Amino acid sequence: MTTATSISLQTILLVEDEKELASEIKIELERLGYPVRTASIAEAADAARVGDAALLIMDRMVFGEDSLKTLEVLRKEGVKVPVLMISALSSIDERVRGLKAGGDDYLSKPFAMMELTARVESLLRRLDDVRTTKLHAGDLEMDLIEQTVRRGGIRIDLLPREFKLLEYFLRHPGQVITRAMLLQDVWHYHFSLETNVVDVHISNLRKKIDVRGGASLIVNLRGAGFMLNDHA
Amino acid sequence: MLEFFRSSAVRVAIAFVFATTVATTGIFALVYFQIKATDQRSNRLILEDEAAKSVNHSVDELKYAFEVRLTHGLRRLDYAALFSADRKAMFGNIDELPRIPVDGKSHFVAASPVPGGDNRMEPAIFVARTRPDGTILLLGRSLLETLAFRRIVLGALATGLAPMLLLALAIGAFFARRASRRLTAIHDTIARIMKGDMHLRLPVRSQHDAIDKISRDVNLMLDEIMRLLVQIKGVSDNIAHDLRSPLAVVHAQLERGLENSDNEELRGVARQALAHIDKAMLTVAALLRLADVEYGPKSSKFQTIDLSAICADLFEFYEPLATSKSINMALEIQSPVQILGDGDLMREAVSNLIGNAIKFTPEGGSVGVSVTQEDGNPVVRVRDNGIGVEPAERDKIFQRFYRTASGHRVPGSGLGLSIAAAIANLHDFDLRFDDNHPGAVFEMAGRRK
Repeated sequence: MTTATSISLQTILLVEDEKELASEIKIELERLGYPVRTASIAEAADAARVGDAALLIMDRMVFGEDSLKTLEVLRKEGVKVPVLMISALSSIDERVRGLKAGGDDYLSKPFAMMELTARVESLLRRLDDVRTTKLHAGDLEMDLIEQTVRRGGIRIDLLPREFKLLEYFLRHPGQVITRAMLLQDVWHYHFSLETNVVDVHISNLRKKIDVRGGASLIVNLRGAGFMLNDHA
Repeated sequence: MLEFFRSSAVRVAIAFVFATTVATTGIFALVYFQIKATDQRSNRLILEDEAAKSVNHSVDELKYAFEVRLTHGLRRLDYAALFSADRKAMFGNIDELPRIPVDGKSHFVAASPVPGGDNRMEPAIFVARTRPDGTILLLGRSLLETLAFRRIVLGALATGLAPMLLLALAIGAFFARRASRRLTAIHDTIARIMKGDMHLRLPVRSQHDAIDKISRDVNLMLDEIMRLLVQIKGVSDNIAHDLRSPLAVVHAQLERGLENSDNEELRGVARQALAHIDKAMLTVAALLRLADVEYGPKSSKFQTIDLSAICADLFEFYEPLATSKSINMALEIQSPVQILGDGDLMREAVSNLIGNAIKFTPEGGSVGVSVTQEDGNPVVRVRDNGIGVEPAERDKIFQRFYRTASGHRVPGSGLGLSIAAAIANLHDFDLRFDDNHPGAVFEMAGRRK
């Protein structure tokens, strides 16, 4: 949680017409150190235009108004603020529409607060640094061009999917990563699972990358998900 | 049920044949007996009349008349003879007086020697009458013609009846088959409706017969059932919809309470409550997902997708889980099996099937995934040798919230198979269960057009 200060000057704008839910979201994000302001669609759009918003959290339907239209207008104007859509519309089609209109992530209700905060963190710290060719965590190094992983100079063989999984963690150091995020971003599965497959994949990955006797590079966060411990 | 209809149709056909036969035979019999009776009556009258008239003629006159009658007479007598008082033949073509009363009335004699004496016998009618001089006049008529007539009638009946019978049989069979074919169609439709094809209706022709009437009534009933089902589903969907925000809020509040409280007892309660709310959220999400798949607009994202690629990907995803349970997993795919569909949804459906298979297979078991093209029909099979499904439960496993008795201990929403079935249906696929002896096979196959 080292980068929180760098974005703390900007506020998260929350557009949500369900008061209690809005209040819970606000409390939770503020607890994590993010300033939050609830706003109408128009207020949020105006703040985004003048660069006064770090992130927009928008419900798809606010007082009967579809916020997608505003989002589309913002994107056309070139406003780049990250946007997290939350919606009661859960179908895949709706998610795709939300992302096409310019949303950066899409959460359908009901969601655990942890799911929302993890995504907020991920969006706020997103490094649009596609030119990076090497990722690091402690003495682990990933070469994206050669598609190799080394720990302490020793080459580790990973299956393609394990490589992708590790890459995702390396790109989100110190952030809470939920199972749903991994499913969505690593496997591109847009449904929920009733099995602990993801945990098995993580544990297999750990067996390959962790040093015997040392602390694990990827830690389990109870009730939330996982996190890359880049000080390991 | 079908057997009953079939046999009843056959019974109708047989009854039809039987009735036709009885009626035909009856008509023949009536005609025959009428003609026979008339013929015999007239024969008898003629004979008695002749005998009465002949009584007063002289013997010579009789002799002459007999000769004329026997040889040239238009109304020929077959037998004519005169016997002396002591019953000796005097002349005529009968040598012996038949054993009948000499009373001027006609009598039937079953076997009488044919004149000409070649020892043939035939039935005949005789009248014997005593003349004033004591001699006995005997007149008779052969019944050979009548018999011949009877034979003709019977022959006609036989030759007429056989084709009649065949015709009746053919007509009966035709109607029986038509009726049974319609009943079979109705039966098949009902079977499909009971399997969940609630949109199907019984076939109704424009004829207003009993079957059509009943079919129409059943269709009205189905409409009503559909309406109620949609209503009930709508209610549960609305409930699910309305539960979303409160659940999310309670979840957040409990999490916050957990975070801020030092009271270990309260924290324990909050943790338990959170676990239950997680479960409720899972169910609500699954219910809404199901509603989306079932009632949402047919996905605009339908495009050519490769079932083989989807299954291979899911296989790779699930294999580590299987390995962690010491379950052997096998994949069998043919080169691209392409269908028109929504890749995300198909992935979800197959994921549910594979996840279930691993869930319900004990350590050391095996799970197989195959994608094949059978007669041009895409088929995805997920088989395991786990606990399987009890025969009594097989119809119910696709129902919402149904958890098998043995599956109750395994966590889950109880909606996975319902969602998979709904997704299959959206793609014009059928999801079926089969016994794997032991274990289960879930087969998702494209419907034949």
